[in-house]
Amino acid sequence: MLLSLLANPAVRADLNSIPSRPAKRLATKHKRLRLAEGVSLWLAMLLMLFVHPLYADASQMEMEQPGQLYLMDGQNSWRQPALILKSDFKVQVSGLLAQTKLTREFRNTSDRWQEGVFVFPLPEKATVYGLTMTVGERRVVGRIEPKAKARQIYETAKSAGQHAATVEQQRPNLFTSRVANIPPGETVRVEVDYQQAVSYRHGEFELRLPTTLTPRYIPGEVVAETPKQWQSGWALPTSQVPDAHEISPFTVRPEDVDGQSHRARIHLDIESGFPLAEVTSPSHSLQTEIDGSRVRVQPEGDEVLMDRDVIVRWRPVTGREPAAAVFYQQWQGEDFLMAMVLPPETVGPVLRRELMFVIDTSGSMAGESIIQARSALLRGLDTLRPGDYFNVIEFNSQARSLFERPVPAEGHYLARARHYVQGLQANGGTEMAGALSLAMTMDQAPAEGLVQQVVFITDGAVGNESALFGQIRQSLNERRLFTVGIGSAPNMHFLREAARWGRGEYTAIHNSGEVNRALEGLFSAMEAPVLTGLAVNWPSQGQNLAPVPGKPGDLFRGSPLVQVVRGLPAGGELEVSGQLPGGRRWNTRLNLGNAATATGLNRQWARGRIDELMDAASLSGESPDEQGIIDLSVRHEVMSPFTSFVAVEEKQARPETELLESEQLPTLLPAGSQAGMLRYPQTATFWPLLSALGLVGLMFALAIALLSRRPAL
Amino acid sequence: MRRLLILLAGSSAVLLMFGLWIPFKALVAQELLAMAWAESQARQTETRPWPWADTWPVARLEMPELGVSMIVLEGGHGESLAFGPGRVFGGEGGPLILAGHRDTHFRHLQNLETGYRLRVQSQGRQWRQYRVTETRIVDSRNESIDTNRLHADSVLLVTCYPFDSMNARGPMRYVVEARPIYPEDPGNTVATL
Repeated sequence: MLLSLLANPAVRADLNSIPSRPAKRLATKHKRLRLAEGVSLWLAMLLMLFVHPLYADASQMEMEQPGQLYLMDGQNSWRQPALILKSDFKVQVSGLLAQTKLTREFRNTSDRWQEGVFVFPLPEKATVYGLTMTVGERRVVGRIEPKAKARQIYETAKSAGQHAATVEQQRPNLFTSRVANIPPGETVRVEVDYQQAVSYRHGEFELRLPTTLTPRYIPGEVVAETPKQWQSGWALPTSQVPDAHEISPFTVRPEDVDGQSHRARIHLDIESGFPLAEVTSPSHSLQTEIDGSRVRVQPEGDEVLMDRDVIVRWRPVTGREPAAAVFYQQWQGEDFLMAMVLPPETVGPVLRRELMFVIDTSGSMAGESIIQARSALLRGLDTLRPGDYFNVIEFNSQARSLFERPVPAEGHYLARARHYVQGLQANGGTEMAGALSLAMTMDQAPAEGLVQQVVFITDGAVGNESALFGQIRQSLNERRLFTVGIGSAPNMHFLREAARWGRGEYTAIHNSGEVNRALEGLFSAMEAPVLTGLAVNWPSQGQNLAPVPGKPGDLFRGSPLVQVVRGLPAGGELEVSGQLPGGRRWNTRLNLGNAATATGLNRQWARGRIDELMDAASLSGESPDEQGIIDLSVRHEVMSPFTSFVAVEEKQARPETELLESEQLPTLLPAGSQAGMLRYPQTATFWPLLSALGLVGLMFALAIALLSRRPAL
Repeated sequence: MRRLLILLAGSSAVLLMFGLWIPFKALVAQELLAMAWAESQARQTETRPWPWADTWPVARLEMPELGVSMIVLEGGHGESLAFGPGRVFGGEGGPLILAGHRDTHFRHLQNLETGYRLRVQSQGRQWRQYRVTETRIVDSRNESIDTNRLHADSVLLVTCYPFDSMNARGPMRYVVEARPIYPEDPGNTVATL
């Protein structure tokens, strides 16, 4: 190229046509010109080299599909979602049930049509029973459909440009809502109605409203095929968690989203039925208006950040704690009864125990959680008495035990254990299965007549819950498993179900100040189950009442028995009997005629039945009775693993010419925890670009200089 | 006209200089870092290569097949990446993740093939041998590094992709994964037999 340009006759002619000038000047000028030409040509060469990759880059960009929207921009910094999400919890507590109207507001701040996908948690026993979509003035009430059909209806409406919303269940406490065709600059509201049972333990009622989730650990090998359509998270499906991508929304810090997004208004209206002494919360400071048995509660300030569970507790005036309660509802000609019976406050004989402490030191526990977990474990060590045996198992990607076998709770062993626990740090995976099998297969303590107990301290952030429940069930033997939930957004479903399958109890610690309080309850319950061999006799006259739970387990101190039955009018007597520690029989009778009316019992019953069917399936190792569950779910309008709600507006909203973008809304990192996921760092400099620009500029300048000189020659 | 021309030429020259300054800095800094690294190995402390540096050498990385050796700095932020590859994550008991600029220190990554060796020297002067097991291209917009999912003993080298791109803020990343080579111990084999 260089040569060909030099050989250019035009240039030559120009150079040769220099007329009479002093020879010396001419020669230097000539030289300079040649030099300048040479330099500029070399610059041109360099430029070509640099520009080439620019073309390569440009052609690559075109390959990206239009309409794809990414969560992170090139700077590796978070790109704020175009959708602003606000939530509004309106909770109505009546007796033992809480009904919540949860409104999610998706505001589209972009100038494109958007689809919003949001993975969110609900309380661990939440029963979703309604979906309403509001666009402007129009309200569309959703209906329940089998999961696949609901998806299809939603997809069809989405591509047809209609407003549509759907909610489906991923885990009993994890749901996905999708909202299609949110117009630019407009807002679509999606109302989800759900109910949950209020927890009543140790004389205190508690309601938990999760607002975010701790990123779940996904064990197993990644399966190569990834379904692109409904992809919404960072994790890929694995051999053990085939739906990993659906339960792993991106987790971001609050400052990564818009200042108005991920905020929630919370309002509780509690009608307890007895005079209230106090309403407290370990998670938020509250504004309360107590009026006898009724109280209105909301967190201080207008909105709260959705980065932790909202916990509200209320306590009856001392001496007025209910020991039993009955509720009645007639729904579509069917009778439903719900009864609560509290076991007696007795203390059993002191048992000698073999206590196995299992502590989760995985990456998701980093930050505030591991501190809480350590102090919980230390507190647990304090409860050991002479004659007890114990061991400590720590697990993340692998499980390790402190001692080879359980050791007596004696001074130097305890000292070693305390030292070990204080040095525990959190990082790595959450391979719970290994820890469980280590705890369950370890050699027993060399002593007779010990009660074997496992205390499992974790945030439950795993994606393979049901496999773990199966493992607990199979390897439990004579043991009891107790779980302690840690962190500001623990997976309560895991903690509760693990304890249920492990025939034990569960508790949760919300902050470090609560460790003592929460663990006292648990450890006192662990002393011994208060009531075993429970028998519940409803006045059934031979008909099948299908009570839920069908086989209530042993009762621990301070925890009531709650059962719901169908097909029984409010009348007659309920008899509950069981065995107290020490072998004495205990029984109580409840007059069902005193039942207070309530709503939502049918839903509670239906949800319970669905759970029973799912349990039965996992016990027998067969696939669950899908049609039976769908029938139950559709009849009572409650969501199940096989049904979803879907709402579609008839009218087309989005013109065909407009494209739809899809956006996965992130969830906030739970307060106090550390980000476990690393972003890829920025790993290129500006030097190729700067040099190329510099070269272009220089070349350009030279070219102009040459051109402007030439006439003067 | 002439002034304009000078202005254009001048600013272009400045741009070029700024551009070339980056690889120059990267080159020179490695020399300074080598000294700091020797010192921190000798003293077993974190030695800052120059008093105002906000990073310090943590390891030496070698790619024997390519004849490349460089000092790794602490942190994956721009200040440390300007002078050498940075340790983003890891160290004791976890995967080691190193990041480097694709146009300075980590430009060699494009020549790194599966099966090539990597050597990493820690402050304690021990060398660890690794073998490249995988190279792949990821989109940083929809993938992050889940450190819990990596093998605890693996090394991950991260740089931008494509290597000859002008776009310094591109979303693609080139990731090289290496696993350790454990010296074969004949005694062990006999024992298991």
